[in-house]
Amino acid sequence: MKQFNILIIIALVTLLILLFSPYLGLNVEDPAIQHHILTQLRLPRVLFAFIAGAGLALCGMVFQAMFHNPLATPFTLGVASGASLGAAIYVYLGFSFTILGLDGGAFAAFIGALIAISFVYSISRFQNGFSPETLLLTGVAISFFFSSLILFTQYLSNLTDSFQILRWLMGSLTTVGYRDIIQLLPFVSICVAAILWLTRELNLLMTGDDIALSRGVSVQRIRYSLFFVTSLCVGAIVALCGPIGFIGMMVPHICRLLIGSDHRWLAPASLLFGGSFLIVCDTISRLIIAPAEIPVGVITTLLGGPFFLWLLIKSKSKGA
Amino acid sequence: MTILLDVSQLSIKVANKVLLSSVSFQLEQGDYLCILGPNGAGKSTLLKALMAIIPSSSGIISLNQQPLSDLSQKELARQISYVPQAHGQQLNFNVIDFIKMSRYAYHSAFSEWSSDDQLALEQAANITDTENFLQRQMNTLSGGEAQRVMIAAALCQQTPLLLLDEPTSFLDPHHQVEVHQLIQNLNQKHNISIIEVSHDLNHAAQHSQHILALKQGEKCWHGPSSELLTTPRLQALYDQQFVFTTHPQTGAAVALPSELNMGEIQ
Repeated sequence: MKQFNILIIIALVTLLILLFSPYLGLNVEDPAIQHHILTQLRLPRVLFAFIAGAGLALCGMVFQAMFHNPLATPFTLGVASGASLGAAIYVYLGFSFTILGLDGGAFAAFIGALIAISFVYSISRFQNGFSPETLLLTGVAISFFFSSLILFTQYLSNLTDSFQILRWLMGSLTTVGYRDIIQLLPFVSICVAAILWLTRELNLLMTGDDIALSRGVSVQRIRYSLFFVTSLCVGAIVALCGPIGFIGMMVPHICRLLIGSDHRWLAPASLLFGGSFLIVCDTISRLIIAPAEIPVGVITTLLGGPFFLWLLIKSKSKGA
Repeated sequence: MTILLDVSQLSIKVANKVLLSSVSFQLEQGDYLCILGPNGAGKSTLLKALMAIIPSSSGIISLNQQPLSDLSQKELARQISYVPQAHGQQLNFNVIDFIKMSRYAYHSAFSEWSSDDQLALEQAANITDTENFLQRQMNTLSGGEAQRVMIAAALCQQTPLLLLDEPTSFLDPHHQVEVHQLIQNLNQKHNISIIEVSHDLNHAAQHSQHILALKQGEKCWHGPSSELLTTPRLQALYDQQFVFTTHPQTGAAVALPSELNMGEIQ
């Protein structure tokens, strides 16, 4: 079967990337130090990048299916900005609490994300359907609004907090350790499990609400469940490593070209591809001006911006 | 005859606009009902309410004496299928994948494609004569082909009741006749009850068994199709004069919009 073979190839490439990327740019002679860098710094970082990338790619895929729009992702629709604001307020107010051992920042970001998605969804519904332009403009407006609130929070904060917020807003994996993986994994796992469970429903949502309902999909319930789990996932990722943009747009789109738009194949492909894609971007960000590093969010956005424009031009010329 | 569908005092309001008000009718098993009426009369709204796409504001819809509100969306999809107004050509799916998705109501999250599913697919493709383009993309189909695929997908759901929203509106005469024959065939040979929204008076009068006429969200008339073509009834429904003649081949009554009004203007 063609799709199965493609998925196997993606899995093999992912495995190679997982195995080799920690060794790149390892310029120390001492085997003890080498071992320490590999196990204590590189390995958690690569694992974290994989989990975060997989989560972001899957959330992007879900948004594209739900809004019938290749440009709709948690980032373009302002959900990541909502999450960022939640996390920024958490830092600014100096909160520090845990729920079931999980850091409160992720929950604050989750609430921010949920508020943003509720906004976008109710406005697009109010406009009677999902005109792509309305949807994206709503996302842009919400992003701006939340961004200015983040700036406001930053302005009110002291210098240290302010710098912390700024660096974090660029999206970086520099400081992640095993602890962060444990913080991230539950949120992303719930989201991944739910999405893999709902692949048939995602396929039917692509046909439009009327047909999906007539085939037996409880559209509203599925939509709200998906909003909930994607907000959890995006919230946790944003809280832990900042908003790393455009993965959710590029990866599912490339996977769709590779493996088709059946979500039963597209979801696992996006998961693997998204994970390895973020590892590659992070490795580049680590090596390109070594020994210094640039935030990985800068790399993904540098790639994603032109990709966005290309998609926009392509969809316009197709629509005409 | 057993009553399949019982609609009682159905009203639908969306944002304070009344789309349907107190519509009641019954549908017998094996019936072929055409819903007629001017634009904005609430025809499509009624179909969508039957498919639970739009919630009803008041009134009761019962299917086999069971209120629709007691059924889950999946249970409903095993009883009623729906062909929306033409937009099959806009879908970016492989034809066979699109038809296969109609079996959703018979599956749980990870269940396999079964021999029952395969049989339903083959039957649906056979009846609608879509076997030859199962491997094509939906957006490469012609209007007539796309409409047959939409009907095939609904048939694959294997429901006793099929709803069709203006299935022939955007088709040329040849494909209109083809789809009309297909619908009649489904009703007579395969014993599927049909509710079809249409603007084609003569088709409705000749081919359907009953007609429900709606005007401004209210029931205007419900009766046997053979009694539709009487002047006052049609004139009241469409605010338009009609003249009558007979079909040269079949001898069936045919209504044509009168040109009297135009003469007056000139």
